Amino acid sequence: MTSPDTAQPRAARPAPATGPRPAAGGRPRQTWRPRGTDAVQTTASLAALVLMILVFSVLDAQFRSLDNLVAVVDAAAVLAVVTVGLTFVLLLGAIDLSVEGVIGACALTVALLVANSRTGLDLGVLGVVVAVALGAAFGLASGLLSTRLRIPSFLTTLGVYAIGLGVATILFAGERPIVEDAWLSGWASSKFLGFAVASWVAAGAVLAGWLTQRYTRVGRYAYAIGGAEDIARLSGVPVARYKAAAFAVAGAFYGLGAVMATSQLGSGVVTAGSGLNFSAIAAAVIGGTLLVGGRGGVLQSMIGVFVLTVLQNGLILAGVSPYAQQAVQGVIVVAAVAAATWPVRHRLGVVK
Amino acid sequence: MSTDTAPEVQPAASSPVDGPSRVRRELVRFMPLLILGVLLVLLSLRNPDLLTQRSLLTMADSAAPLMVLAVGITVVILCGGIDLSIGALASFASVLTALWVPTMSSAVVVPVVLVCALAGVVQGWIHIAARVPSFIVTLGGMSLWTGLALAFSGASTIAVTDLGALRWAFTRVGGWPSAILVALGLVAVLGAVLRFTPFGRWVSSIGHAEPAARLAGLPVSGVKIAAFGISGACAGLAGVLLVARTFSGAPTLGDSLLLPAVAAVIVGGTAITGGHGGLFRTVVGALIVVLLRVGLSLIGVDAGFEPIFYGLLIIIAVTVTIDRSKVAVLK
Repeated sequence: MTSPDTAQPRAARPAPATGPRPAAGGRPRQTWRPRGTDAVQTTASLAALVLMILVFSVLDAQFRSLDNLVAVVDAAAVLAVVTVGLTFVLLLGAIDLSVEGVIGACALTVALLVANSRTGLDLGVLGVVVAVALGAAFGLASGLLSTRLRIPSFLTTLGVYAIGLGVATILFAGERPIVEDAWLSGWASSKFLGFAVASWVAAGAVLAGWLTQRYTRVGRYAYAIGGAEDIARLSGVPVARYKAAAFAVAGAFYGLGAVMATSQLGSGVVTAGSGLNFSAIAAAVIGGTLLVGGRGGVLQSMIGVFVLTVLQNGLILAGVSPYAQQAVQGVIVVAAVAAATWPVRHRLGVVK
Repeated sequence: MSTDTAPEVQPAASSPVDGPSRVRRELVRFMPLLILGVLLVLLSLRNPDLLTQRSLLTMADSAAPLMVLAVGITVVILCGGIDLSIGALASFASVLTALWVPTMSSAVVVPVVLVCALAGVVQGWIHIAARVPSFIVTLGGMSLWTGLALAFSGASTIAVTDLGALRWAFTRVGGWPSAILVALGLVAVLGAVLRFTPFGRWVSSIGHAEPAARLAGLPVSGVKIAAFGISGACAGLAGVLLVARTFSGAPTLGDSLLLPAVAAVIVGGTAITGGHGGLFRTVVGALIVVLLRVGLSLIGVDAGFEPIFYGLLIIIAVTVTIDRSKVAVLK
């Protein structure tokens, strides 16, 4: 169970500036993809967002009202937080299918720890912190399982999804805990400067995610690992450790998403995260955070979040069945993934 | 019936088999049967009634839809891919079945299985043509089929009133539950195809070393698409079996079967990396999963622990069976 990077002595890690450049040509692995592709994808999704807003505004007077703008932003809050987390995993080139399970477990945890109808506890802020920490623990478990046992992340996270769902079901114990904590309920119900408090929390989370991605090792190394893991390893990056850390960061965001969903639902629900995993993957991919890893980022993913939310809002106003939207979302993701790699598909080698 | 890989299909490119890894491989081969035996003994010590013919057959009967799903996905996993859409596709099939029974009666199984096979083929084709990883295509498929099932059914359970139409799948033939006969028949037919036609060797060759298989001139794309078609068809059949036992179709009826089905394949000893494994192993794996489920409820474990066990089972079994020489960089 020894992974290559832990076996390396710490002294072997070169400083980034003086370290040996991987191969002679600088960026050997990136020659197959023009550097502008990311920008194209992000610009395209931004253009699609603007176009969609214009079309819906022209077609529907209700859509262009200020109330609806607020509604769209408030509706995007939970998805935005979850997508920020998932982006860290996608940057690694890994995938996380555990979102719904982790959210279920964290949602029940926070609902049982704040003032509620079932337990006598009233931990308030501490309950939220515990839920976020639990999410991080789940993420860390996913990360450690994939890196230490050397199992593809889609399988470990599928396992962790099941475990989270089981934990949520056990905590649920057949009786829904109703949240009686006024402060937590206020996240969804009270407004600050026109938007729900939860939306401000989400904005803060996006900012925190962006700062983490931009200025911490977890974020910077995630790009390096996702871009070319073998080269990152050769350059002395402790790959396994930072992969696990990125999963843990992602888990913390799922935990926060679970807290927000619980405040919106008003009670602890096992299926609080239902559908969120796929929507988050869709949002990230649409925004330009590609599944191959090392591409995109938190802000790009946010474009995807708004594309999905605006689309959903506009289609509901237009009277399209929400179930049809779920079907469409499935097609959109596959199309977006295919479009991102279409120009270089013959050079991809074995695709499993 | 076993389709365990014959030595001659192993491409020369695979790493030489040294002592410890041969021991491990043999262990992986016989461990599932051993676990199944130990489980049976332990459970029957706890509750002697378990070993009666009646309770064994009832258990096998309830395992039928799971077994059909697991057998289908085994073919895809042998190729080195994965199909995450089978649960949603089985749900979609159950909705189609419930909707079409009034007009088609017993014949409903044919169009349902065909539609689902087509769905699988389309997923496989996109995977091949656009070179999108199979778990992404089928994850998208999962969302698509769930959405369609919800839209077609109006998000509600559709009761089947024509009880005679699907009687064949929920009755007893000579004392045997017909559903398990259907499942075993499927295993026999698919097993024979994999064993006695080139298709089986193609599948495991592709799973072992796809570039080598391609260079050797095997119809890699066609085989992979066919594998997804088989997986889809099996999901359709599983959906019909589910309707036969619940007398209704529902848009989330089969969703919860994805995890146990994947667990059954991996616990049976089929490597997630492709190549190693076979249908017979999956049958053993499915029986282990069902026995575990029954056993947990026998010793009074809360039903909430069930998914936790599936999750742990998947992770543990993958840890044991995965072929790490095949994955240079783990994503």
